[in-house]
Amino acid sequence: MKKGQIWETRPLECWDLAKEIRRSYDGAIAGTDKVLGQGMTSWTLDWASAFPAIRVVEDNPVGAMMAAQDEPFARNCRLASEVRGWGREICGYHNTCWGAQFLGNTADGKPFPLRNFTVPFPCVCDSHIKRGQQARDFKPIARWTNDFTMYIGERDEKREEAMLDHRNYNTLKLLNEMEIVFGQKLDDEILFEMAKSYGSINDMRSEIAYYMTFKPTPLTVKDLYSFFQLRPSPKMGPDVLSNFWKSLRDEVKFRVENKIAAVGTERFRWLEAHPPPWHFLKYYRYMERYGAVCLGSQYSNLRELIFAEDGSYSVRSFTEPSYEAGMELSTREDLVRFMTTPDARSPRHWKIEEYIEPDKLNTMMRIYNCDGALLGIWRAGVGCTLLRKEQAMRLREDGYSVMVYEGAQPGDRVDLDEKRMLEQLDTWMESLGYQMLDDE
Amino acid sequence: MDFKELVAGRHEYAKAWKARKGGKVIGWFETYFPEELAYAAGLLPVRILAEHEPDIISDKWIYAACYPVKDMANQLLLGRMDYIDGFVNTEGCQWMFNVYEVATNNAPQLFKHYLFLPDYTESKSSKDVLRSELDVLKTRFEEWLGVTITDEALDNAIEVYNKNRTLLRTICELRRADKPVILGSEFMNLLLADQVMDKAEMNVILEQFLAELQAREGRDMVRLMLIGSETWDSKLEELIESLGGNVVIDELENGTNYFWNNIYPQEDRLMAISLRYLGRNNHPVKDSNWRRRPQRIFELAEDYFVDGAIIAKQIYCHPHGTDNYEVWKILRERNIQYHYFERDMTVPKEETQLHLEAFMNMLRAGITRLVGWHNKIEI
Repeated sequence: MKKGQIWETRPLECWDLAKEIRRSYDGAIAGTDKVLGQGMTSWTLDWASAFPAIRVVEDNPVGAMMAAQDEPFARNCRLASEVRGWGREICGYHNTCWGAQFLGNTADGKPFPLRNFTVPFPCVCDSHIKRGQQARDFKPIARWTNDFTMYIGERDEKREEAMLDHRNYNTLKLLNEMEIVFGQKLDDEILFEMAKSYGSINDMRSEIAYYMTFKPTPLTVKDLYSFFQLRPSPKMGPDVLSNFWKSLRDEVKFRVENKIAAVGTERFRWLEAHPPPWHFLKYYRYMERYGAVCLGSQYSNLRELIFAEDGSYSVRSFTEPSYEAGMELSTREDLVRFMTTPDARSPRHWKIEEYIEPDKLNTMMRIYNCDGALLGIWRAGVGCTLLRKEQAMRLREDGYSVMVYEGAQPGDRVDLDEKRMLEQLDTWMESLGYQMLDDE
Repeated sequence: MDFKELVAGRHEYAKAWKARKGGKVIGWFETYFPEELAYAAGLLPVRILAEHEPDIISDKWIYAACYPVKDMANQLLLGRMDYIDGFVNTEGCQWMFNVYEVATNNAPQLFKHYLFLPDYTESKSSKDVLRSELDVLKTRFEEWLGVTITDEALDNAIEVYNKNRTLLRTICELRRADKPVILGSEFMNLLLADQVMDKAEMNVILEQFLAELQAREGRDMVRLMLIGSETWDSKLEELIESLGGNVVIDELENGTNYFWNNIYPQEDRLMAISLRYLGRNNHPVKDSNWRRRPQRIFELAEDYFVDGAIIAKQIYCHPHGTDNYEVWKILRERNIQYHYFERDMTVPKEETQLHLEAFMNMLRAGITRLVGWHNKIEI
């Protein structure tokens, strides 16, 4: 038994299945998706999957991966973009990915995969709003744009009517024009099938988030970051993802019922707010040496739930009225409405929640029985940093211990002093009365 | 007329205006705010201006924002603008949203409203969204103030603001002359005063000033264009003037973009306002589809016969940081020399002065702009 072990623990049985799915996804798209786009498809349906050979890639994971895998190369990328005029405080995802475009190759020396089109990543973040332009500044390619419609305060459905029309119009225009520009037919039937299964997968994800409120937690945020990238894709075959999520949900439920922990030494639980430094995820393992476990953040899965003050929760539906509730789904226009959802401020991801529900993290701290929060503030990430200081103040007012660390941006390792961060974590834990389990 | 003095006395002006008119003051942050609607409701719309005051408080609230945002938060938290009765944040720069949040979270009694103005300004459906949003804001003003904003009030506001923009444009046109009769610093102060004063009162001042300008002698100086992030004072223009240069045109959010295009009146007043704000020359956040800014910068440079351009970007200004690439590119392609630097709360004066001086000395040779600054020539 490990020193300080409190709970029974064992590896997740779903890991092998998850790895197999990942491999089959890579195999399913390898060599088939001839048309590569920059941006993001809908949060609800990956419409690119319904085209025979179109794939959309966002620069966020690409830039973060480059920075994590090869620091000297990532620095060259940054230099290549900065010397051409890009601001040195621009998001690292951006600067690294598009710097590689200027250099002409990726970290492994292969030619940079030039984009054939750009589609929007509608977001309140200034940096995201400008995302589509880098690829089309570089060479003339097709481009489409959309908006993230936003306001503060209570939901106002009348106010949202024009906003929804605007978003639906632009999404429909995008899909219709893409067929013409690339000569590929969008298979609406595939999207209908995806819409039908969307609700059930989302419900299972939400259920898993709920099981993490129990002590000990059956999963940690590191598990979530691995599983949540597995998105439904018809190119992998029907029901593959549904079956995986069902298996994971059942396993997590079993672990909760039998108090099987993700980390056997769990004695301190903490939350985060935004993406972590992707190249330095080992701080999660480092914190486990104190028996401290990260349950996630509004950025990871935890946004799936709506919590009441009494501890009860309900599932946040992105698609209300859902297909199951009888939403008409017979035309492409219906699919577009399904993707946009009836909420003009959706997807209610972490940034939006901070605008609309500024106390959400406090509520989550209570529901997840957390002891503290670790918040990153990023010099070069406006969307990742906005409102963070106020968030820390609100948590402290509720009596939670909050540690704040500074860096350039989650996908940029230039400014993050890793040694200093670990020392800060030591100080934080020690100030709360915890010692490393090996030292006790 | 000393416009700089008007800007310095803006707080007293607003307080006096309230006492005189019995009205309320609404604060705004970016020039996308449709002032006409506030004016029609009987409000005094004022732009929140940043200072260069040592910041003692904003770090607690805001991290890594551009200095003006932190300074505005500093001033608002210190109660320097306690005569303001409410704020409207128009969708645009996120840092500006941060100061709006800090200001209103710390003073919950204030009127607050988030106006969505599409970032995708060119979509066929954008005008309808903004028209709808203007209607929502109009209702909110009416409920807050207990008034009805009539078509007549809107017509009057549109007329006053159109007249104001026409006067500003007329004065700006004088900067095209070989020997402009107005310096860049004076024009910037004029604009800043315009953004914090009652437009009807400002129009009277501008008409008098226009007459005054006719009698002035112009000055031959190095002609410069100012490009970059929003500005809140005329310190850079003054430094340039001390070195023999003159900003004869700008492409700034709070500069020419503020007044360049008018509202074309139509029966649907809100749609007329919507079309004006979507069709104006755009800030980088709103120029997220087609890149229209670089071409506009080139056209202004040509029209105002500039010798060179100064690009001054606030550090942590993400929108301009992503536009620079294309702005630099077009200036290089069109052989317009430029000097780029980053602004912050303070910049080292000697160093900045030296760089500007060296840049202007290069321009003074005159002929360099005809052959390109990359080419070495003996003068």
